[in-house]
Amino acid sequence: MATITVTVNGKSYTSDVEPRMLLVHYLREHLNLTGTHIGCDTSQCGACVVLVDGVSVKSCTMLAVQADGANVLTIEGLAQNGQLHPLQEGFWECHGLQCGYCTPGMIMAAYDLLQQNPNPTDEEVRHGLEGNLCRCTGYHNIVRAVQYAAAKMRGEAVPA
Amino acid sequence: MSHNGSPFRYLGKGHRLIEGLDKITGRAKYAGDLTLPGMLHARLVLSPYAHARIVSIDARAARAAPGVVAVLTADDLPTRNRAVNSRHSALLAKDRVLWCGQPVVAVLGETEAAARDAADLVMIEYEPLPPIVDVRQAAMPDAPVIWPEGLPKEGADLTAAHAAVDKGEQETAGAPSNIHDEVHFARGDVERGFAEADLVIERVYRTPMVHQGYLEPHASVAEPDPYRGSITIYTSTQGQFSVRDEVARLLSLPKHKVRVVPMTIGGGFGAKYGIIDPLVAALAITVKRPVRLVLTRTEDFLSTTPSPAAIVELKVGARADGALTAIQARVLMDNGVFPFTLGGIVGTLLGGYYKCPNVKIDCYEVLTHKPQAGAYRAPGAPTATFAIESTIDDIARALGRDPLEFRLQNAAETGDPMGNNDPWPHMGLKLVLERLRDHPAWKDRQVGPNEGIGIAIGGWPCGMSPAASVCRVDTDGTVRIHVGSVDISGVHSSLVLVAAEILDIPPEQVELIQGDTHSGPYAGPSGGSQTIYSVAGAVANAARAVREKLLHVAADRFEASAADLELRNGVVSVKGFPDKALPIGELAAIAERKAGGPGPIVAEGVAAVSENAPGFVAHLAKVYVDPETGQATLKQYVAVQDVGFALNPATVAGQIHGGSVQGIGWGLYEEMVYDENGQLLTASFMDYNLPAFDQVPDIEAVLVENPSPHGPFGARGVGEPPITAGAAAIANAICDATGVRVTELPIRSERLWRAMRSRQR
Repeated sequence: MATITVTVNGKSYTSDVEPRMLLVHYLREHLNLTGTHIGCDTSQCGACVVLVDGVSVKSCTMLAVQADGANVLTIEGLAQNGQLHPLQEGFWECHGLQCGYCTPGMIMAAYDLLQQNPNPTDEEVRHGLEGNLCRCTGYHNIVRAVQYAAAKMRGEAVPA
Repeated sequence: MSHNGSPFRYLGKGHRLIEGLDKITGRAKYAGDLTLPGMLHARLVLSPYAHARIVSIDARAARAAPGVVAVLTADDLPTRNRAVNSRHSALLAKDRVLWCGQPVVAVLGETEAAARDAADLVMIEYEPLPPIVDVRQAAMPDAPVIWPEGLPKEGADLTAAHAAVDKGEQETAGAPSNIHDEVHFARGDVERGFAEADLVIERVYRTPMVHQGYLEPHASVAEPDPYRGSITIYTSTQGQFSVRDEVARLLSLPKHKVRVVPMTIGGGFGAKYGIIDPLVAALAITVKRPVRLVLTRTEDFLSTTPSPAAIVELKVGARADGALTAIQARVLMDNGVFPFTLGGIVGTLLGGYYKCPNVKIDCYEVLTHKPQAGAYRAPGAPTATFAIESTIDDIARALGRDPLEFRLQNAAETGDPMGNNDPWPHMGLKLVLERLRDHPAWKDRQVGPNEGIGIAIGGWPCGMSPAASVCRVDTDGTVRIHVGSVDISGVHSSLVLVAAEILDIPPEQVELIQGDTHSGPYAGPSGGSQTIYSVAGAVANAARAVREKLLHVAADRFEASAADLELRNGVVSVKGFPDKALPIGELAAIAERKAGGPGPIVAEGVAAVSENAPGFVAHLAKVYVDPETGQATLKQYVAVQDVGFALNPATVAGQIHGGSVQGIGWGLYEEMVYDENGQLLTASFMDYNLPAFDQVPDIEAVLVENPSPHGPFGARGVGEPPITAGAAAIANAICDATGVRVTELPIRSERLWRAMRSRQR
């Protein structure tokens, strides 16, 4: 067992974990943050993307012990004071989700994308999120959702 | 989407999903998110062989491992005396393993890690036996037979009589050869038809085994009540009642002892009808503790029910004037090790899209040592459509005809025979073709070097099944709709709109309560594109009945005739007397108080539609083909679909986007590859290519609204049709770009490169 201290969604946790435990299992099983999903075992699907120190990470590719001392943001911590993040709003308003299983990972990956590129083209959105699989939406409305959020975060009117 | 002309206040306009808030905040609860007190975690040991005898199972080391509670084999389960003759009944293997990936042993641990570690310690000795993998060889008369004495029949049945009848027919069907079923359709005389033809094209098409690829692997949690002898199953399913029935049958429990609670489902696409639930329930009953099983992606690929591979030998004749004279097909379906039957629908569509007087279709359902096949969105349709639409395109090309006009000339219409000779119910194939003909992507089409444009039509009969609903009005005006359907795609959001429309209240004032098998009014499974078609009518009828009751209470209160009342904005008033008005919540309160009155405002509604409403599509794909690598890249995609009436255009368009991209997956990317030993070579998302974000273009959804005569508000099923045409449209676009006709899916770069190269030589 190893002892780690991790800040998750602004709250500090100290836990004893097996050294082999993946970050995604730590979040889901130890902290009961089940909004971060597992869709594959090979880091293809991106359903488990969270932000670690501000950078998007597939939490199935990282050990919990590697997150010792880190600041983790999951989908549960994205809305502030009950106010949805523009990405959450965009996915809802633009019908960028159906079954919702890929949605948390997709939103967290898009969060990082917009951090790096606040004004992406549709093609840049598609390229930036190619590590996240969705089986329901055909991706079409996810592009719209990200552009909705991007416009809102730039302080512009959201696309109709 | 233009819906300004909608005569409705809420229907026909785009609305966001009612459960969207939970899904964007991580609060939606999927089955694998559930933790119950005392819950154990199951891990499975799967067969590494496609066919082998189990010589011995040594579980001593696994049982002794820390944190392990039980290591169970088929003999330990309450199903030990049941025949293993379907995927559902194959809880754990007995004596023999029949496909690579068949569950053999279940390990239950206090933690997932403990169970996983111990699973590695289970020692199973196998005697490998020769597998039958190739479907053509399996179908040969002299092939070794997988079930020489026929499929195992059910043994002593402990089940209460009412639970036993459901699948009796399947279990008594013997299989003297590997061909477990045949379907033959014929009309006219194909020999005469081919003799009259000026052009005959004969080809063999192959479509692979494709996986549904839902992002959420199968997950189920079962909680036994040892005192009542009952079990509650929290699961990821499209059809709670069918899971309940199957678990009750297999575990010899009366149905009322099995409660199935449908959790938020992370995609199903035809696959989630209780594959793991009987096993999880049996494990939980055996150890008398709650058990959770969440498959890994690889386990899901190996042990669930992908869509069957198929070979279609297709011969089509046409006269120089463009009339089709004959369609003949021989279809081999590769169904894996237990029976599954899609040949009938493949034949129905092959011989049904176009008017043709002479048709002969022979379909053979074949067993091999692979996982049992299952349904995947419009099951059978992508295969049939790829075959017939590739050939039709080439006939048009060979006759020098515009491929769209050629299709219009021959397109089936309402009342024309399908392949099985039943008449098509009211449908709109010509309408979608005409809409595509007038679309700029076709009308003004232009292609650059190495580019091509292809079109294809596709269709699906769409299902229907009776359904019920209950509608209640609370004293604060909240309207609650109770249903037993499962929301796999946003349908419940549309049900809310139906109630809102009829009661003229904002959708936010309507709550949708999804019941489980104990509490939910009956609805058929959410498959076959039938949920809106069936359940929306039940909700509408329940809301209408509630409306009548509200008017009755108001009429009594205002001493007015019900005919003089109107319900607007959630308020019932006497026409012309604005001071004589009460909101529906207050009317509900009056009804709840008044002795001798009508009683609380609640009503039930049912629907049992008498005829299905087929959904047709016309798709256009524009591709660029790299002449050096054979890589085809989609540049544009237009999906025209007859949706009847879009109750919620946002969710309907979403279905079209998603279904189209799954069709693109069929066309360009997806294939489950088995080697000659029956080993799956593509058991992860590393090897199995689900279409990725940057591999597909925007999908332009074009909604044609050709109201169905029987569906609620004219709606048709919309979920399945959009997957049907993509592979054919892409193959036709590739042919347009390169002149090469590829007859096998998926059209990956290597396949196309070889086809292009072999033509050059």
